[in-house]
Amino acid sequence: MQNDGRRRARARAGLGIALLCVGGILSACASVGPAAWDHDLMARKSMQLNTHPDLMAALEHSYFSKEGASGGRSFVGGGCGCN
Amino acid sequence: MQLTPPRRGRIAQALGLLTANLLAATCAQAQALSPAADAPPDAAAPRVGVNDDTQSDVGLTRLNAAVLFYSESGGRVKATEPVVSVTVNGSSGAVLTGRFTVDTLTGATPNGAAPWTGPQTFTTPAHAPGTTATVTGSSGGSTLVTIPGTGTVARQYVTPANTLPVDAGFRDLRTAVDLGYATPVWDGGRLSFGGSASTERDYRSYSGNAGLSQDFNQHNTTASISAEFEYDRSNPFFGTPTPFTVMSADAKGPARTKTVTSAVLGVTQVVNRYWLAQLNYTVGESNGYQTDPYRVLSVVDSVTGAPSQYLYENRPGSRLRQSVYFGNKVAWGPTVTDASVRFYHDSWGVNSVTAELSERVPVVSWLYVEPLARYYSQTAANFFRDYLIAGQPLPAFASSDSRLGKFQAQTYGLKVGIPITGHSEFDIPSSEVYFQVQDYKQTGSAQPGGVVPGLAHENFFSGVQAVSVFAGWTMAFY
Repeated sequence: MQNDGRRRARARAGLGIALLCVGGILSACASVGPAAWDHDLMARKSMQLNTHPDLMAALEHSYFSKEGASGGRSFVGGGCGCN
Repeated sequence: MQLTPPRRGRIAQALGLLTANLLAATCAQAQALSPAADAPPDAAAPRVGVNDDTQSDVGLTRLNAAVLFYSESGGRVKATEPVVSVTVNGSSGAVLTGRFTVDTLTGATPNGAAPWTGPQTFTTPAHAPGTTATVTGSSGGSTLVTIPGTGTVARQYVTPANTLPVDAGFRDLRTAVDLGYATPVWDGGRLSFGGSASTERDYRSYSGNAGLSQDFNQHNTTASISAEFEYDRSNPFFGTPTPFTVMSADAKGPARTKTVTSAVLGVTQVVNRYWLAQLNYTVGESNGYQTDPYRVLSVVDSVTGAPSQYLYENRPGSRLRQSVYFGNKVAWGPTVTDASVRFYHDSWGVNSVTAELSERVPVVSWLYVEPLARYYSQTAANFFRDYLIAGQPLPAFASSDSRLGKFQAQTYGLKVGIPITGHSEFDIPSSEVYFQVQDYKQTGSAQPGGVVPGLAHENFFSGVQAVSVFAGWTMAFY
């Protein structure tokens, strides 16, 4: 029970930190970035965050099956019995 | 005694504020340093990569087909994974995605027992409860035997002396379906939904997710929040063993389940004309059965190391995972750098750092190459044990799964892309074939600290070394 309480407290602290970070970033970066006509390079396929989704999914699944950590780019679940 | 929680709360609060301020300062500096901020639109414009399309996705359909060949050294797991997927972009900005994956797996996996100076014999059930069909056959060096006096049919396999025990009877087939839909809901806002289902012979998983993203700041900033719920059902071939009971041929208990609830908070920022950055915070809690039903621990003599029993492992029923991911894409002329780092922590005591770096380099109009490197490091879970000592009280939880042990991993690879049509940015239909070859190697300590004298010359590290080849084809058309 005590461990559960501590874990939940840590989770709440983590979520609080994340929300503060997001809030801080959104307010501080409100005017960061190029003008609309300078978005040409961002339109390149190679500049997308995930250029080959099938390859990324296969790699993430492969790492999930061999390592203790998961998540980061996306959710923490793995959807398989390999870990 | 009551001072601890508030003190942690204050520390967490202070850390949060400091982090937010640090990131805010970084963003402000990035703005000040942005070369695009004061430059005319075309000044120092790098040439768009000769084989790098920039077509609009509106109304575009992408078809993809690929196959992954994966092989671990030492006769361990081999996998072949074909996948097909489609992405349909509507004229209104809505996007529908679907993916179908099949995964065939064979080979040997460590069973969790410690190596020993003599041969070791392991006995497991041969039949699923209520059936007479042999669940894994006699492949992989296993034999079927009848336990004297009981009539119970068992599967047995023998591990040679001074060898890490593996069960060679591993065979599985996984099929998975993923669906997703995203649609604009208001100016700069997008709503997304998704779901997936995955089935194996002994495991099923279902999940659903929803997310909301919002663009700000002339589409330079995107904030997103998404959540997922996953339901898993573990139905091992011979039932679910009771934790810390002796490995045997007896039928085990019924199927067990677990749930995973997770959320991702993210910010994507176009920092300047050349640099795209992403910061994610992910949190997820798993509750339910998380023990590996096939894995055991050796109970060994405190001096000789001789195994007296093999006990089924036991893991906590709850796990809270948190991670921070920071990804970057930077255009350097026609080449693009992808650099990311992830910090991970969970309530089982596993802490890890992951760093990845790749560089896409166009060579000629029909070819680009992308060398990549990845480094991964993790600490051991607080209940990780290489073995248990006979005569000592059992711990609350214990597992010898190397994925919960301390290790590092290095990955080196090369991706090669060959655009077949659509060499210029507006050529439609366009297609591309691509290949990625990579080498993955885990390294770690061969022996735990304070190893019992009789096991001082054994190698306990069961890390993976694997080679994989991924070949894919993608076509886009309106």
